Amino acid sequence: MLDIWGIAAILAKLMLYIGLAGSVGLVIIRTAFADLVSPVSDRIRTREALFAAFALVAAILGFMLRGAALTGGADGMTDPEMLGLLWQTPVGDVLVYRVAGTVLIIIGVFTPLVGQWIALAGGVIALWSFTQIGHVPELETTGVRLLLLLHLLGIAFWIGILGPLRTLSRRPEHLTSAATLGHRFGQAASLIVPGLILAGLLMAWLLLGDLRALVVTGYGQTLLIKLVLVGAVLTLAAANKLRFVPAMQAGDDNAARHLARSIEIETAVILVVLAATATLTSVLTLPS
Amino acid sequence: MKKLATLALVSTLATGAFAHSRVDTTTPENGAVIADVPTEISFNFAADIRLTRVDMTHQDHPSVRLDLGDQTSFDRVFTLPLQGMGEGTYRIEWRGLGVDGHAMQGAFTFTVD
Repeated sequence: MLDIWGIAAILAKLMLYIGLAGSVGLVIIRTAFADLVSPVSDRIRTREALFAAFALVAAILGFMLRGAALTGGADGMTDPEMLGLLWQTPVGDVLVYRVAGTVLIIIGVFTPLVGQWIALAGGVIALWSFTQIGHVPELETTGVRLLLLLHLLGIAFWIGILGPLRTLSRRPEHLTSAATLGHRFGQAASLIVPGLILAGLLMAWLLLGDLRALVVTGYGQTLLIKLVLVGAVLTLAAANKLRFVPAMQAGDDNAARHLARSIEIETAVILVVLAATATLTSVLTLPS
Repeated sequence: MKKLATLALVSTLATGAFAHSRVDTTTPENGAVIADVPTEISFNFAADIRLTRVDMTHQDHPSVRLDLGDQTSFDRVFTLPLQGMGEGTYRIEWRGLGVDGHAMQGAFTFTVD
């Protein structure tokens, strides 16, 4: 049954996903494509810190909302007994990973030289939190935890490219950088995305057990919606890679504008995918 | 300090996740019709849980919070004294925390007739 605390928990989780995917993704992109994103490097660093701060707030809010779920009222959000109880469970460990991870990202942003490695380590720590609690960790297999971590890093990489690539595409003076960035991301994605899909499908199969559960259970149906949306994002990404990026490489300004627009649509669909995931991992129980 | 140790050993893989706990049986049973108001109610869970809140609603009266007493640890069986309010339908709503950190909630009703 979904009460107000259940809905609030989904929203807090969605905030956490956006904050973490955004910050970790930008850290990865700034590390992987440093030369190409250098014109917007300062902007990226600011965004990394802002997304990390957003994730930090979401992590703390999510923890407090769990307190509210224990008492059924807002008083639980600040009830020392309830929060103390949660602190002793894996929920407490997860909060530590997320707070430490996001704080490291913020520290990394403002640290010269080795900063991006500190931020990267923070990102991995924060993402690792997802392997500690939830449906996938309940499978109690180390391999699956690592699979989930790789899945999350792949998603962060994908989400991280959206902002910088859009910004560069909208500036005619950076058309060459944008085209090269789009091209090199496309090359990396052609390796990473199939892995991402395979990891996702494997985890789905481990969680669901059989194909029938995909259709007859609420969990399966939401997962199916997520898969359809992911398919839509992949179609957009394929259009970007095969059509707009090659045209940009040939010096077509219009293609850059189309790419920027396509990225905006892609971002909107990804937000819905994240919302579906937050629902899957928060309130829907696995088919038994 | 446990948390700091966990953090330092970030590469160490944690084990021991627990399945969600479910309420197995309650006394009185859900939907039971009984002759006398029980002096206590009890829960029997499938796995350890820490009850955090239990409310009783009798007919149209506002709900009353039941005292958990000293039952503030993780356990499978909980028995709470019940202040009877005469005939009618009682609804017991509970909330609790599983050892895996999941919040749980549920309800059962019984009728005194």
